[in-house]
Amino acid sequence: MEEWRFEPAHDFGLSAKQRRLSLRREVGLESAISCFLWRSITRVYLAIAHRLKIRGRENLPANAPFILVANHASHLDAIILGGILPLRFVGAVFPIAAGDTFFTKRASSIFATAFMNALPIWRKNCGAHSLGDLRERLLKGACVYILFPEGTRTRTGEMAPFKPGLGRLVARTNIPIVPCYLDGTFAALPASRTVPRWKKISARIGKPLLFANTTNDRAGWQSLAATVEEAVRALAT
Amino acid sequence: MNLATRERLFGFRHAFDSPVTLWITIAVIAALLIAALIIWLLRAAGRSSDKLHDELVKRVVSWAVMTPLLLGPVLLGAAWTILAVAILSILCYREFARATGFFRHRSLSIVVVLGIIATTFAIADHWYGFFVAVPPLTMVLLAMVAILRDEPRGYTQRVSLGVISFLLFGHCLGHLGYMANDADFRPIVMLIILTVELNDVFAYITGKTFGHRKITPQTSPNKTLGGAVGALVLTTTLVSTVGHFVFAGSGVDTPAKLIGLGLIVSVAGQFGDLMVSSIKRDIGIKDMGVTIPGHGGLLDRFDSMLLVAPAVFHYIAFFRGFGIDQPARIFTGG
Repeated sequence: MEEWRFEPAHDFGLSAKQRRLSLRREVGLESAISCFLWRSITRVYLAIAHRLKIRGRENLPANAPFILVANHASHLDAIILGGILPLRFVGAVFPIAAGDTFFTKRASSIFATAFMNALPIWRKNCGAHSLGDLRERLLKGACVYILFPEGTRTRTGEMAPFKPGLGRLVARTNIPIVPCYLDGTFAALPASRTVPRWKKISARIGKPLLFANTTNDRAGWQSLAATVEEAVRALAT
Repeated sequence: MNLATRERLFGFRHAFDSPVTLWITIAVIAALLIAALIIWLLRAAGRSSDKLHDELVKRVVSWAVMTPLLLGPVLLGAAWTILAVAILSILCYREFARATGFFRHRSLSIVVVLGIIATTFAIADHWYGFFVAVPPLTMVLLAMVAILRDEPRGYTQRVSLGVISFLLFGHCLGHLGYMANDADFRPIVMLIILTVELNDVFAYITGKTFGHRKITPQTSPNKTLGGAVGALVLTTTLVSTVGHFVFAGSGVDTPAKLIGLGLIVSVAGQFGDLMVSSIKRDIGIKDMGVTIPGHGGLLDRFDSMLLVAPAVFHYIAFFRGFGIDQPARIFTGG
């Protein structure tokens, strides 16, 4: 028989607060259950209040890891994309959320981690370091990121250019990026509102893109971001 | 559910029916106050460094939080005692699963938690048959569910970790909850919790004072022969003295049997401690978690209880039984 191998949780030994802020956070049964409940409730809400339509579901890869990328207009976006992914990914899906919006207050950071399973990224000084950690985690296996490469919600309804940081996560790897376009989210819950309007929302999922041959440097990241942006824009029409 | 059962489950007015319960409660509160006073005096006399002072304060504050969480449910009633043990089981399992990495096998993790819930139900129902049926049934489920991944590599390890988790945290610890089915559970449960915790303290103090020869340098380098023997003597004395009042008039109330009970508490307690140390060494970690400031994880604190609960349960059950005069299968009937 082989020697037993123990691999403690990667965030083992951290306090509850440190765990919430850690990019190494691993999800146990309790978060999986709370995320599942939240996913079920929001799916019903989106179906009734926003008559959510999804096209291109068949383009989603069968196995993790991959990154789901979309335009960003509202707080509903991550919830919609989390609900689109099949049930078996619950607990393995990590929306990458702005640390300075969701993780500075205790209550909102508990909500973001317990129900959305979000990982924080700090926009001011995130830099290469945390993106490197995220890349490593993705390479290790079973996780899916939900990412909005515009970096912030649109204030005008127009999609902003994608930031090249996305490239740092997948350049020179076989990890697919799945482009997705969300339509109607700006009308339903723009950044200026706190209560959603009952507007129709639709999501279109495109074919996965691979960047195994893109160089892992600034030029590569920029071309990668431009390619993905192009793919998302193509889905808009 | 008849009146007697309802009173046992929820009758907090009976909290101090037994004088032993009252003594233990008063003694514990007094001990905490005295500890706080000593720490304050040491500080005032300038005898404790900042580091030592912080460490001591942290420990006493942890105890001040844990004591009501431990004694409160027992005083409130059997239902709360059973619930508290169930919560402790799940939290201990969670620490173990995160430390070993077992939590990544989510479906198996669900089976273990279901096993703990089923055990809790069996206890609350006072249905001994189901209580002893849950371990083999959990084993059956674990063996089956672990196959579904169709990955023979690591199968034995996955199933074994599931079985160990359930047996230690669900079944063994469950015996402590099962004691609440006795009409007179308060003094018994309190005696066990108190002496198991004091056993650790005795081992620590006598070990510091008389301990020279290390007994388990590989497993836990701080354990000494002096500490082990000191704890054995002090705990056995305490258990048999207080036990005489707890078990007055029952089959356990003879000097030899009471000393036997004390020896079981002390020996099983110390081995439980060493068991968790062995697990930690095997995995390669220092503490099981960060739940209790100054102590580490919950498992670092309640390690001794894991082996004591079943050993003491069956020892006492052999001589006097648990809850034999109480109605069985409260919810399921039959």
